[in-house]
Amino acid sequence: MKMVRAFIRPEKEQEVVLALEGAGFGSLTKMPVFGRGKQKGLQVGPIYYDELPKTLLMLVVDDGAAEQVVDLIEDKARTGFIGDGKIFLSDIEQAYTIRTGEAGL
Amino acid sequence: MKEICAIIRRDKVPETKAVLEEVGLPSVSIQSVEGRGRQRGDVACQLQDMDQDGQICNALHVPLRPTPSEYALEHTLPKVALFVPKRMLTAIVPDESVEAVIEAIIRINQTGQFGDGKIFISAIEEGRRIRTGELGEEAVA
Repeated sequence: MKMVRAFIRPEKEQEVVLALEGAGFGSLTKMPVFGRGKQKGLQVGPIYYDELPKTLLMLVVDDGAAEQVVDLIEDKARTGFIGDGKIFLSDIEQAYTIRTGEAGL
Repeated sequence: MKEICAIIRRDKVPETKAVLEEVGLPSVSIQSVEGRGRQRGDVACQLQDMDQDGQICNALHVPLRPTPSEYALEHTLPKVALFVPKRMLTAIVPDESVEAVIEAIIRINQTGQFGDGKIFISAIEEGRRIRTGELGEEAVA
């Protein structure tokens, strides 16, 4: 299994989530985060924003579906301007459903 | 070392913290998150309302809040994704304690209803205690 962590623009969250739901990946966790990237924040006139608000979407999918999920998020979250965010993939060795106690997604 | 990431009900956090202390691994990070699972945020969904594919199929099913697609169909409104508030517990534990911690978390958090949450296990390559600079399992013990 793979964990996909996507840092996206907060205003793109609904669009991405609904696209994922449509593709059969309805389960995910989101949290608000603050961060900065390569551009070290943002300067608007004299005001300098060091950390910008983003939404972190976290979902765990089967190995074969990871590519599709990444493509989908990339497609929906892209505006073409700096600050669109990043997607990270990591390995998950095991998952458990607490309700049943069973292993697996 | 393994990272145990458990997404649980908000009201189970004190009990879960207590049981982790019993196991002997009290170190944990807690974060407030919002999430949705196979029921896609429908908090009124019951076991008998779902078919094998996880789709809500019971005609008598009356959700507390309408499911996104049904709501959109009925009201011709843009679809909205629903989320349920949850707590995410992250603990880094030594390899040999993983089984005990998972067993304890499942025992405390199991209610049998939808929304009990998930546990994810992944490997951690290295850990370091900032105060002393200890490496590896010493840093998380």
